[in-house]
Amino acid sequence: MSIMEYNGGSVIAMVGKECVAIASDLRLGNQALGISSNFQKIFQMTDRIFLGLPGLATDVTTLKETFRFRVNMYTIKEERELEPETFAHMVSSALYERRFGPYFIEPVMCGLQKTHDGSYKPFIAATDLIGCLNFAKDFVVAGTASSKLFGVAEGLWEPDLEPEDLFETCAQTLLNAVDRDAYSGWGAEVYVLTKDKVIKRTLKGRMD
Amino acid sequence: MDISFALTGKGYVILASDTTAARSIVKMKVDEDKIKVLSPHLLMAYSGEPGDTVQFAEYIERNIRLYQIRNTYALRPPSAASWIRRTLADSLRSRKPYAVNLLIGGYDTSTHQPHLYWVDYLGTMSEVPFAAHGYGAYFALSLLDREDGLMSGSSYHDPEAPLEEGLKTLRRCLDEVAKRLVVTPEKYKVKVVDKDGVREIEI
Amino acid sequence: MPDGSFAHPQQRQFNPYSDNGGTILAIAGADFTVIAGDTRQSEGYSIQTRYAPKVFRLTDRAVLAVNGFAADGNMFVKKVKQRLEWYRHAHAKDMPLRAIARLIQTMLYAQRFFPYYVYNILGGIEEDGTGAVYSFDPVGSYEREACRAAGAAQSLVQPFLDNQIYFKNQKAAPGTTHPAHLPLSDVLSIVIDSFTSATERHIEVGDGLEIYVVVAQGRSPQGLDAFRGAQELSTQPNGDRMFIIRRELKKD
Repeated sequence: MSIMEYNGGSVIAMVGKECVAIASDLRLGNQALGISSNFQKIFQMTDRIFLGLPGLATDVTTLKETFRFRVNMYTIKEERELEPETFAHMVSSALYERRFGPYFIEPVMCGLQKTHDGSYKPFIAATDLIGCLNFAKDFVVAGTASSKLFGVAEGLWEPDLEPEDLFETCAQTLLNAVDRDAYSGWGAEVYVLTKDKVIKRTLKGRMD
Repeated sequence: MDISFALTGKGYVILASDTTAARSIVKMKVDEDKIKVLSPHLLMAYSGEPGDTVQFAEYIERNIRLYQIRNTYALRPPSAASWIRRTLADSLRSRKPYAVNLLIGGYDTSTHQPHLYWVDYLGTMSEVPFAAHGYGAYFALSLLDREDGLMSGSSYHDPEAPLEEGLKTLRRCLDEVAKRLVVTPEKYKVKVVDKDGVREIEI
Repeated sequence: MPDGSFAHPQQRQFNPYSDNGGTILAIAGADFTVIAGDTRQSEGYSIQTRYAPKVFRLTDRAVLAVNGFAADGNMFVKKVKQRLEWYRHAHAKDMPLRAIARLIQTMLYAQRFFPYYVYNILGGIEEDGTGAVYSFDPVGSYEREACRAAGAAQSLVQPFLDNQIYFKNQKAAPGTTHPAHLPLSDVLSIVIDSFTSATERHIEVGDGLEIYVVVAQGRSPQGLDAFRGAQELSTQPNGDRMFIIRRELKKD
């Protein structure tokens, strides 16, 4: 019994053209027994940052609360909005603080980074459970269906997708990956973040 | 092992818990109340490691009460559940964690919504329309999942059902456990929370 | 001890199995079948060779892909070929595909308690001229399917195939339905994409790709003879036609 597979669940984030997407399943299980089909793993941290937390469900809730607190403290103290890249390092440090008694979570995050000329640059990142950062240029995955997500994403993803195409790519990748994973699925949700809006869609998926 | 169920309906939450207190293969007691009334509109069914359960439940009970005394108003169900979850999650990474599983049912008097939370000893929490702990979960959850209540009039689970129908649904869960589980509890304590507060129901 | 005995009980162990990585894949069309496999053979982090075929021609219309423990795989193919030769001598014809499938089952199950550590995928043309894929587990459970991936990158490739071949999670445009079988050119693109994807993300996949294409008798090879690097393997002028396409994969 692996502690990372105790509750199940998967997350993926992708880069598009001036947009990013993040998607997750909605299952909460106790090993093979399904408990809830409405367990959210993606959380909005700021207007331009989303965080996905697949892994042990108790730590999903704990870390969601921890990061809400830390982002609020940063915003108040610094009197400015937190940038995605800064947030990624915040996540990394928070996890590495528990190096020898870790939170059993592999965070995936995405956002739009403000550039010097005032425009926004898509940003994605992921870490392992002790906070080793991975700044990928295309997509990042985590959770019990990670190998399946890698396979499908590698086949479907292409550079510079428009928001609607990115949504479709992300949704199809997630849906088809979790359908081959017993510990993920039971519904899904996708967020697409563009410079002027956030699109959230809850997907109907296989319920087996 | 103890069995507990809970389900929501139109403006209420029902919690049911068996009444046996067992040590190994011996029944020590058959009328144990394992559902605590935390506040006027909040119930908590607890199960798990004997000793931990009562100790933890009483700690929660007194602290929820203390909050109400200090602030005049009781915590609303989502806040109470969050605090209880956090207590368990912190306990998990302590020297001696509490091994207690919970079902927290409450009625929010501000929004007039019923709330039910499934919480385990790790601090995993999820708001659900129905829930169960123990071996009963393997029988009841699949039963409550069924969605063809329209046919017979007596549905399996309907979050919009009136109380009488909710109790009937609970009865089906208890009957299923009685029929299929090897060691069956003989008695259940059933409590309901709704706009009028908390009360016990004979089933 | 001086007498040659031991003071303490001794234990010895021998593990007769190994995992040699790699991935195989087969897709059936209406009147053709594509069977493919990469050519890397590895053990742990070491590459033993960059060219070890995992896909083998059995008859004019049957191709077998074997993946798992290479020694078992090679021996198993050898024995299947031997049984097919005996069949030819006894009956003066090639064994039909579905019969080969059943033969493979019995041969695998014969080793139920010391199995060939091999996942088999058999592809080819059925007696009725349809494309067919049969997939097996190491002890002989088998099933006819439209497509199957196996081996190290099965978990990467199979969900991609579910999406692209079975159109899972996709809705057909209003008034249309999803095709039951894809044309050869589409299938070949999907196969090549699957392997380049698997090569990108899996360390045990890469080096080379061998794609066998079997086209039913009298059916058009759909421009395959003009396909870059396609080499014809057919033995008879009017029978089923067989081709092999070789592609390079990344070697890192």
